[in-house]
Order: sequence, then structure tokens, then C-alpha cells
Amino acid sequence: MWPLIDFHKKNVLTGLMFLVFLSSLLYIDWGPELIHAGGGTSLWQMVKGMFTPDLSGDILLLALVASWQTLVYAVAGMTLAIIFAFGFGTLASGVLAQGSLGRSGLKTFFRGVLGFMRAIHELVWAWLFVAAFGLTPFAAVFAIAIPYGGILGRIFADMLSDVPPQPIRALQAAGASRLQLLIYGYLPLAAADMTSYTMYRFECAIRSSAIMSFVGLGGLGYQIDLSLHDLKYSEVWTFLYFLIGLVIVVDLWSQVIRKRLVA
Amino acid sequence: MSLRLSLLIALVLIMASWAHIFFVDQASLSELFSEENRQHGLQFIRQLIGLEDEHPAFLEGQSWKKALTLTFETLVMSIMAIGFATTAMLVTVVPAARNVAQGSLTLVRRWYNWLIFCFFRLCYIFSRAVPELIWAMMIIFIFNPGLLPGAIALALHNFGILGKLCAEVIEDLDLRPIRNLASSGASKAQIFIYGVIPEVLPKFITYILYRWEVIIRTTIVVGFVGAGGLGMEFKLSMSWFHYTEIALYLLCYVLLVFFVDLLSEGIRRAVKS
Amino acid sequence: MAKVMVKLDGIRKQYGETTALSSLSFQVDQGEKIAVIGPSGAGKTTLLNILARIVEPDEGRLEIDDQPAHRYTGRQFAHKVGVIRQQFDLVGSLPVIHNVLAGRLKDWGFFKSCLSFLWPQERHLAVEALARVGLKDKVYEKTAHLSGGEQQRVALSRLLVQRPELILADEPVSALDPARAHDILAMLVKLVEEEQQTLIATLHTVEYAKTYFDRIIALRDGRLYFDLPASEVTDEQLSQLYHLSELNQYVAAH
Repeated sequence: MWPLIDFHKKNVLTGLMFLVFLSSLLYIDWGPELIHAGGGTSLWQMVKGMFTPDLSGDILLLALVASWQTLVYAVAGMTLAIIFAFGFGTLASGVLAQGSLGRSGLKTFFRGVLGFMRAIHELVWAWLFVAAFGLTPFAAVFAIAIPYGGILGRIFADMLSDVPPQPIRALQAAGASRLQLLIYGYLPLAAADMTSYTMYRFECAIRSSAIMSFVGLGGLGYQIDLSLHDLKYSEVWTFLYFLIGLVIVVDLWSQVIRKRLVA
Repeated sequence: MSLRLSLLIALVLIMASWAHIFFVDQASLSELFSEENRQHGLQFIRQLIGLEDEHPAFLEGQSWKKALTLTFETLVMSIMAIGFATTAMLVTVVPAARNVAQGSLTLVRRWYNWLIFCFFRLCYIFSRAVPELIWAMMIIFIFNPGLLPGAIALALHNFGILGKLCAEVIEDLDLRPIRNLASSGASKAQIFIYGVIPEVLPKFITYILYRWEVIIRTTIVVGFVGAGGLGMEFKLSMSWFHYTEIALYLLCYVLLVFFVDLLSEGIRRAVKS
Repeated sequence: MAKVMVKLDGIRKQYGETTALSSLSFQVDQGEKIAVIGPSGAGKTTLLNILARIVEPDEGRLEIDDQPAHRYTGRQFAHKVGVIRQQFDLVGSLPVIHNVLAGRLKDWGFFKSCLSFLWPQERHLAVEALARVGLKDKVYEKTAHLSGGEQQRVALSRLLVQRPELILADEPVSALDPARAHDILAMLVKLVEEEQQTLIATLHTVEYAKTYFDRIIALRDGRLYFDLPASEVTDEQLSQLYHLSELNQYVAAH
């Protein structure tokens, strides 16, 4: 029925995507060799460890220190990311540029930069930094700062260009310069949205920071890695619970802030 | 908790973190930007772009063939991952919506609905709080290296995120059309087909595609621990110091990311209209 | 002598402290067109929701077509009673035809409903119904793209397909501008007459009630204030109905 083609377009697309998923399963050689020789026992021990995490004093202390370290890299990385995002984001939003040609040129260029920053995963950045500069906490900090700066910057740019035009025009009429417009007009108007998005990203940064262990930096991921290799699954779960707890705390905090900002 | 207190906590956290990095970890910025490091960094870049190599990988057909096969495998892994995550989400999302648990959507209230609701929500929080890479590390103890463990690890993390997002879509459903369908005599299954699916499907697809874009960026990372695809070879080349291969894989990875972004943007636009 | 379509006997409904309806009794014959009016908070919507079985009364009996209302199954009830509300009652993302055919779901099994989602079944019914409300050219349009008045006409054609004996209209025109509202009400009344149905509508505007309906039931503070043929209702009664309640609110507030 042709008139319904618009309505069915998304249904057909959904069906197609489902088929693509099904055919991707054919790529796997389904057989017993998929699973490790000891895979079953590992799984069983992991599940057992989930209900019997190691709660001895040593491990708890270790987990606490590792959580702090994870938090430190996340916070430091986010600080830089916010700075990058502000710089590139305002430039990419085009609110500072005069004239339409300059504006679109500036926009395209800085959006491209931001796109490149976030196209590469934080761990790949970390790897590159460690390979280039050796093992330093800055590798983790920059590795978080660059892709998060890219994501935040892109969202900041969108939020700044979505600011309602009336208050801006009023400021313009009062003779404000471009920079004054940004400070007294755009930023206060977009601040609430920018803050709540930053908080959401902070939660993600905690997770990213936890996996920085893979380039040899400490933190919760490092401890999980060590315990896994010693096959001490109950310790693994202790650290995992600390990580989950950390993420939940940050999540709750950002929810509180979001509620306050809306009200 | 007021905003001012939040700001204070944030500032204290920021200062404490940087203090930790400078004083406890003893990291120094001047050392980072020392002449030695600059040389080292330049050398690294020269190696990456193949100035130090007589046969850079990206000039050899054989390497390209291998890299492109790996890229395709990575794409397959991402599709499996989002497929698994979506399937698990679809199975659990209805009882995990608050308005279903309360009975305001289904118009039936049962005590165990709350129990199921809490259980699934807990699963979501759990699965999304653990990063993909850590899931992959654990899963690699169960499965042999390959695409499947990578896909499962990616799916485990994204299941929680998709579940939360999609449950909220159901919670935001407008109940008036659904009640009206009920009062024109539609059964529960009919209400589901005509009242729920068409309203939630476009939003579900948007979220699924958005997560797919994130997954494709992360596939390389789960590969690091042996979960197959570009990431696994990337790490191998790293440990063999085959710099030009690294550069080639990075190039393929970035191209793949841009390709998936374009594709998902296109599908999203088609679904929206 | 027309048969009795609706019979209410001593209906009472309480929401916490407030009494929404108290000991309300009246009777509606087949073919009557009744407007329920009264100041806001008088219990009009509660009454309609009780008639539509969305709300259960705390006390009293409700009979629809000589049977206690609760005896009907959902599907049987949909044959007896159809509901139209403000314009937000259609599924916006569906094409118009699906929203109209939703009136047939009560007679369709699961398989046929699925099939119809892909390929509309009994299409002629929907097209005829839409033609009667003047929307023949919008059969495949996305419902959300239609204007408020058009959406109400789609809701009317759903009722035409559903063919209940009694139609309950809850503020059917309150979201529309006056010109549109007159159109919709005139159409509703005309269709009800053509189909020999019974109509009970709640209304904000007294003028509509006097123009289009033949009997007016006025509620105030959950009680029956008057129940008269539309032609016998005087302006004085109306002003008292609305004024007194404002006065009461004034007294209660001080």
C-alpha cells in the first residue's frame, strides 16, 4: 500500500537492522571451542565471588586508596576537559565571530577539531601518550581531557547556539561587544544545561579513569586486573563494588544538582 | 544540598586532585615538556608516519588487506554487541518502567511488579557502572579470545545504559491515547501494538544508534584484552613496536568511526521523518 | 416508548475529604442528547468517568441498557459505550487510518490486529467514516500532523467505526477555538442522530448546551442542581448555578 510507505519506512528499517544483527551472528563459529577449558568453573567462581566479596581490612583499605586515585585522575582530567571545551566550544559555536563568512569558517574548523578529539577513545590516547612520554599521571589526565573536551565542547557549542535570541538582541542593542555578549548573555543563559551535562560526563570520566590501569597507571582497574590474574574473584568483586559505589555517588550528586538547576 | 555546597565540594575535589598529582605522584609538568621528552615524542611520531621504516605497513597491499578484514570484524563485533544489548533491554524494559510497576500504564496493580521493577533497575545500575573493558577482562576468563567475548562485554555495559534510557521513554508515554484505546475495547496486546510500539519505537532507535556510535569507539579497547578485532592486533603491534602497523590500524579505526557516525545519522534521519 | 439506556441510582464518589458526587440518580432514554454543565469541580468529569467505567463509584448502581455496567466484559462494553475527549486521545505517530480502525479492535483477534498494522483491514469502513467527517483526503496522513479540529474529526470517525449505542463526550471542544468548536459539535450531534445513538456530553460553555442538546443536567458540588429540557432552562437558573458556587467558595475562603 503505497500511501503508507512513510509510516512503514521505520518499520522496514527496524526489520533490516534486525536482519543485519542476525547475519552478524553467522560470523561466529558456534561450537564448544568458544569457551575456555576452565571457563565453566571460572564463571561459577565469579558468580560465587559476587555474593562473597573479600571484606578484610587490607583489601578495603586498598580499595579505598584505589578509589581515591581513580577519582583524582577523573577530576583532574575533567578540569582540563572543561577548559578545552570552553575554549573550543565557544569558538565552534560561532558566537564570537563577526560576519557570516568568518563565522561558518570558524565553526567548521573547530567542529572538525572537536570531532577528531572525540573520535579516538580515551584509552587509545593514553596508550599514545605513554608510548610518547613514558609512564606519567599526565598521560591519564590528558587521555581523559582530550576526548571529554571534544564531547563537552561539541555539546557546549550546540547549547550556546541554541540560546534564545531575544535577550541577546537586547544586550546587543545596549551596545555590548561580542565578548560581553558571551559573558553576560550566552554563558548565563546556557549555564544550567552546561553544568548538568558536565556532571553526567563526570560520571563517565570515573569509569574511564578506572580503566587507565591498562597503560600501567594505578587505580581501581589496576587492582581488578591484579586480582583477576591471581584468580581471586572475591577481591575482584570488592573492587567492583567500590567502583559501582563511586559511580552511584557521582550519579546521585549530579541528580541533586540537576534538580536544583531546574527548580 | 544547595548548589553553593556542590560548588564548594567540586572546588575542593579539583584542588585535592591536582595536589595529589603534583605532590603524591610527584609528577612534574616541566619534566613532561623537557627536551628529552620532546625528542622522544618526535621520534614516536616519525616512527608512526613511517619515516624510520623501509616498508611502512600502509604502503603494502598485504597489510591493508589484513587491516580491512580486521576493520570488518570490528564492525561485526559492534553490531553483535548492540544487538545483544538491545535484545536484553527489550526483554526487561517493560517491567522496568515505573508506570508499569505502579500499574498506571497497564491498569493492573500487582505487588510483585515492584519487586521485578527493583530487580531490573538494580541490574541496569550494576551493568552500566562497570566499564566495558573491565567486563571484557572478566569475560576473557570464560571465553576463548575472539569476537564473541568482546561483543558480550560491550553488550553488558550498554544493556544497563539502554535499559535506563528506554525505560524512561516508556515512563514518559502519554497515557491518554492508551486509555482511549482501552475504552474502545482494545485488548492488552492490541494496545501494545497500536498504542505503545509506534510511540516508543523512534525514540528507542535513536538511543540504540547513539549507543552504537559509542560502541564502535570502544570496540578497539575491548580488543586490548584479547577480545578480537582491530584492538587485539593494535596491542600486538604495540608490543612488537611495529609502529607503521599501529598507524595503519589507527587510520582504519578513525575511518570506521566516521563511517558509522554517518550511517547512524542517515538512519536516524530516515526514521524521524 | 424508547428503551432506557442509562440508569443511575444513588451514585456517590469520594476522593479523600472531597465529595465528588453524592446520591446522584437520573435516567437517560435511548436517543436523548444530554449536556452536563456546572462550574468546575462540580463533578462532571467524575460522572462521565463513572459512566465510562474508568472510575468505580463508592456507592450506588449503574445500569447500561438494562444490565449492571460491571457485568459487561471490556469488549462487550465497547459495543455499548464509546468515549470522545479532548484532542489528545489519538496515537500521534500512527497514520489516521489506524486511529480510525482502532474502533474495530474490539471485534478483531490478535492475528487480524497484527495484520492490519501492516496492511489496514476493512479499509472501506475507515474511508467511509472519514468521508462522512470530511477528511477523505487525509486517510494516510500522520495523525500528529493534523490540526486540533481535524484530530477531533478523526476521533469522531473512530466512533463511527466503533458504533456504540451510547456516546460519552468529555469536554470534546474545550481545546478548540469557537468556530471549530461549533463545527465539531454540530457534526457530533448530526452523526449521533443519523446513527440513532444516545449522547451524554460535559460542556464548559452553556451556549453550546442550549444550541445542540435537548436536555441539560446541571451539577453543583456533586449534586444534581437541575435536570430540564434545554428549552426550559432560564438565564436566571444558569447565573444562579455558576454564581452561587462562586459565592460559596468566597464564603468558604473567609
